[in-house]
Amino acid sequence: MAGLKDGDDFKDGEFFKAPSALKFLCLLIGGGGTILFLVMALFWGEKAGEMGYSWLFAVVFFLSLTVGGLFWTLLHNASNSGWGIVIRRLMENLASMIPFMLILGLPLVLTMFGFRDKLWEWFPQREAALTEARAKAEKSAPEYIQKHEKQLKEAKAALAAEKSKLASITDPSPGHRAHFDRSIAGLQSRVESIESEDMSEEAVNDKLVEKYYRKANALLAVKEGFLNPAAWNIRYLFYLLVLTAIAWILRSWSIKQDKDGDPKWLRLARRWSCGFLPFFATAWTFLVIDWLMALDYTWFSTMWGVYLFAGCALNSMGLLVIVLTLLRRAGYLKNVVTMEHYHLMGKLMLAFTIFWAYIAFSQFFLIWYANITEETKFYLTRNSDFWNVYTITFLVIGHFFIPFVVLLIQKVKKLPHVLSAVAVWNLVMHVLDIYWIIIPERGPSLTNGEKMVMPGAIVFDILAFISVAGLFGYFLLRQLGTASLFPCRDPRLDESLNVVN
Amino acid sequence: MSTATDKSSSLFGYVAEFSSASELYHAAEKIRDAGFRRWDVHTPYPVHGMDHAMGLGKSWLSAVVLCGGATGSLVALFMQFFTQVTLYPTVVQNKPTNLFTIPAFFPVTFELTILLSAFATLFGLLIFIMLPRWNHPLFNSRLFSKFSDDGFIMVVEARDPKFKKEETRDFLKEIGAEGIEEVAN
Repeated sequence: MAGLKDGDDFKDGEFFKAPSALKFLCLLIGGGGTILFLVMALFWGEKAGEMGYSWLFAVVFFLSLTVGGLFWTLLHNASNSGWGIVIRRLMENLASMIPFMLILGLPLVLTMFGFRDKLWEWFPQREAALTEARAKAEKSAPEYIQKHEKQLKEAKAALAAEKSKLASITDPSPGHRAHFDRSIAGLQSRVESIESEDMSEEAVNDKLVEKYYRKANALLAVKEGFLNPAAWNIRYLFYLLVLTAIAWILRSWSIKQDKDGDPKWLRLARRWSCGFLPFFATAWTFLVIDWLMALDYTWFSTMWGVYLFAGCALNSMGLLVIVLTLLRRAGYLKNVVTMEHYHLMGKLMLAFTIFWAYIAFSQFFLIWYANITEETKFYLTRNSDFWNVYTITFLVIGHFFIPFVVLLIQKVKKLPHVLSAVAVWNLVMHVLDIYWIIIPERGPSLTNGEKMVMPGAIVFDILAFISVAGLFGYFLLRQLGTASLFPCRDPRLDESLNVVN
Repeated sequence: MSTATDKSSSLFGYVAEFSSASELYHAAEKIRDAGFRRWDVHTPYPVHGMDHAMGLGKSWLSAVVLCGGATGSLVALFMQFFTQVTLYPTVVQNKPTNLFTIPAFFPVTFELTILLSAFATLFGLLIFIMLPRWNHPLFNSRLFSKFSDDGFIMVVEARDPKFKKEETRDFLKEIGAEGIEEVAN
């Protein structure tokens, strides 16, 4: 067929040279803002709580975009797709920024900024419950030992009494004897079980601490296996290692293929992506449980992981569209990417707009209809006062209805600038979505009273957002420049260059 | 009726076979540029880009589906809201009976939207392609039956305003048809 492009013509790739002024500006804003923010948090202890929410909001938003990039890379490899080879490198670049974003989340995980204990109330509450339990345990240990000795004495006495009773009967009938044998065996085993109880000082203490911990805070006591600082730190390392390893390994294979054109890298990526997907899903699900759901440790939703996933997949596709359009405006990828690619990406955006709405609504619907106290807490806050208007305007109408109707139109998906405009709209809605997830938790509480919104705290939100955005931009420009903008010697480059849908 | 029209009306059209998908693709472009309207191609597998080569516009089917879907959602919302909020306010599980009851109506609305969209797709398509019908003149053609095996077939119908018995046959040969069969009505 006429006009087919040949992949060999593109085998040298295209190399992006970031405008150094822009790169420097991003670094200046991002780095300066971050340092300013963190120093402020260090020296302004009483505001640490409010600032922590701002930082969490900014980091989670940009992290979700990079994680979405990783998802698209994995999906593209695992499903052996051909259409998106030319944009796969952009996905890989986005994914390779995960470690930078996770390291920006380090101030939240460490205690020195005071963010951690203010954000996740289970840390101080667990500490308080444990302290109380330890004090009580120490106090009641002698009493417990006394009680134990008394029990043992009584059991032994009962056993001896039963034995002497048997001995006093001169000629027991077989039934009589069986009755005594059974009761003696029962008493014997009771004595043994009391005797076998570990009564060392440590064991007694552990037992009592557990008992009083349960009394002090039953919810935290049963969740102790998950909600404890050691597990928390290990999980953070798990997210960092797993997500970084997956992203960097896939990207390095892809870049190696640029050099030698060996199809074995593609096969490796395909095979391993299937194995990586469950790890990716686990890491992201637990990350959002740890960082977002645990903002209120009494609340839970089984759809939480997939809800956050839906938003991140949708919006990193949107970000890819925007980055692609900007690159093309700067003169890159002009012959490589066609309107067909835009159309396909637009379709995926439409699909994930619907998917996000489906998940978000299902989560709300089930909780709203079941009306169970433990579950409604989340939506009670978000459907009161200011937040109710916010939810309906931005999430129901802005995040779903408007992009849904606009993206239904075929023309919109084929025009890069219009599609980019929709992507920008979606990104703004995603910012508002993440804001809606995190910030209401800063509102009504025992310490803040019934205020729905903390006055003035939005300044911190904006500062944190701009700082992380600056660093995000800097890392993106940096990663874009480190390799060809598309996998130039992929065996299926022809297929992607000439894709028709 | 004159004899000339009698003759052409008994002819359904020409079935022409091409040697490959790419031959057929280029032939389609030429037929399109010659201004024919009543013609079609039949291939054993979908050929990417054939719709562009044939000069097909966007199908109107999506508009029909949109109407079906919109009808579904509006009917579902109206029926539920009217019967359970306006006509006879029904309190279920202590939920309000006002505008904020709407979430409870979403599952049915969603389902009915999907259902009527699917119906609109199916029946709209059937009407657009004029099915069902008892028979089709093309089924008499031996050459045509090859399209489901290894034939790349183009059919030009006699009712096309550009159709002229001799010239069209020559034109088909000129653009690379390997075998041409006349099909009677």
